Amino acid sequence: MIKNELWPKMNEAIVAGDRAAAAALAGDAVRSGLDLLEVIERGYVPGIEKVGELWEQGEYFLPELISSAEAMKAAMAVLEPELNRKNIGARMGGKVVIGTVEGDIHDIGKNLVASMLQAGGFEVFDLGADVKLERFIEKAEAVGAGMICLSALLTTTMTNQRRLIGLLRDKGLRDKYKVLVGGAPASRKWAEEIGADGYAENAVAAVKLAKSLAGRA
Amino acid sequence: MTPPLLDLVKTRTVLLDGAMGTELMARGLAQGVAPELWNVERPEVVKGVYAAYFAAGADVVSTNSFGGSPLKLAAHGLEGRAYELNLAAARLAREAAPAGRYVAGSMGPTGKFLKPQGPYAVEDFAAVYAEQTRALAAGGVDVLLIETQYDLREALAALHGARSASPLPVFVTMTFNANPRGYFTLMGDSAARSAAELEKEGVGAVGANCTLTSEQMVGCVRALKEATSLPLIAQANAGQPTIGADGRVGYSQTLEDYVRFVPEIVRSGAGFVGGCCGTNPSFIRAMARAIQEERS
Repeated sequence: MIKNELWPKMNEAIVAGDRAAAAALAGDAVRSGLDLLEVIERGYVPGIEKVGELWEQGEYFLPELISSAEAMKAAMAVLEPELNRKNIGARMGGKVVIGTVEGDIHDIGKNLVASMLQAGGFEVFDLGADVKLERFIEKAEAVGAGMICLSALLTTTMTNQRRLIGLLRDKGLRDKYKVLVGGAPASRKWAEEIGADGYAENAVAAVKLAKSLAGRA
Repeated sequence: MTPPLLDLVKTRTVLLDGAMGTELMARGLAQGVAPELWNVERPEVVKGVYAAYFAAGADVVSTNSFGGSPLKLAAHGLEGRAYELNLAAARLAREAAPAGRYVAGSMGPTGKFLKPQGPYAVEDFAAVYAEQTRALAAGGVDVLLIETQYDLREALAALHGARSASPLPVFVTMTFNANPRGYFTLMGDSAARSAAELEKEGVGAVGANCTLTSEQMVGCVRALKEATSLPLIAQANAGQPTIGADGRVGYSQTLEDYVRFVPEIVRSGAGFVGGCCGTNPSFIRAMARAIQEERS
């Protein structure tokens, strides 16, 4: 199949959240010997970006975002082993450690951000909910992450976002990581106040922000 | 004799309560502790909050059982105590309620997803809501209040679960975001569709809570009103949370700004009004005055 036909089909598979089609098209691309990084960037990434636009316009909601992120994962699951075989990294975004801060068991928003970041080309290490602050740092250090994303749904736990930044400072590690905060009570103002590197209002905005902080947008 | 709540709302605006969790935290509930635990460990404190809302003029107080779903309590290792904690929540509210006032049995969302987004089947959700309902009903609530629902499918499962366990009237509030196309839940259920579906399933009252400011709530109530003839519930947040330099949590809407929109919420068709995050007994007292003035 020629590329000009393939790109729109890949695009559609992601927008429609069609996992089977997304994976099958990735298989076609591998068999045709296409440049797989180009396949990701021109075939699939525009699809996930379109999904983001539809969300912002109020056309898409959480179920559609999840389906599209799953379709993206299915395509990447086909492409990544091929890229790895050629020693090419498919995760251009770098590594991200994410979790809901200690004392807070809410994880819907965090899970969505994790999925969308993964779909957006980041390698995501999801520590879950109610994560001890030290764990974020240990994990980030262990895997060589560039970004730490902190979620909090409660006004009483969002202060742990501030504490994590303090903890990084104490350890002399503050400049090593970009720290992103999110969750219902968080805001841009809050992010500025606690010295975070950024705040995103939703999963789509989080991917944009992460890409721009990673120098990819 | 006290008239049933659904009869009372035909005659006048009924005042609900405001936030519970933040009131308990102001009284020392530590971060990460399930608020429902205090129904057993610090019953006098929980009862004190109920009493403060009744004293402020609330006709109805909702029980301290928002997170009392066995599925939610499991995150605290308390799932085995769901019945006990919900029963205590209801009993304390009943004890705190003066004659002629009401108790609503609060049931918040499970925090989990149904298939295909999550691992749960509709029957699983119905079963946990049924379990919570049994305890709240045994504790003497007047109505069941399924609150802050972000998925219409969960709300319907909750309704069916509650029905299977008790003949009490069921009220449902969903939480809607204001988006460019109107008011929608996280899962994409519009206010109109939610109200229509819930009415078809026979809920006693339907409405919106949380997320929206009192100003945004006016538009949401109008959208609900167009879709249903049921009594409407409105419990707005006091805007967005903010954290001051001293580390104290505040909300972007002041009491005055919040209450300013209450008459319009009532005029738009809400029969039951109260507060949500960021509100406290002072807000309810001011709302009682606003409603009184509206009436006279």
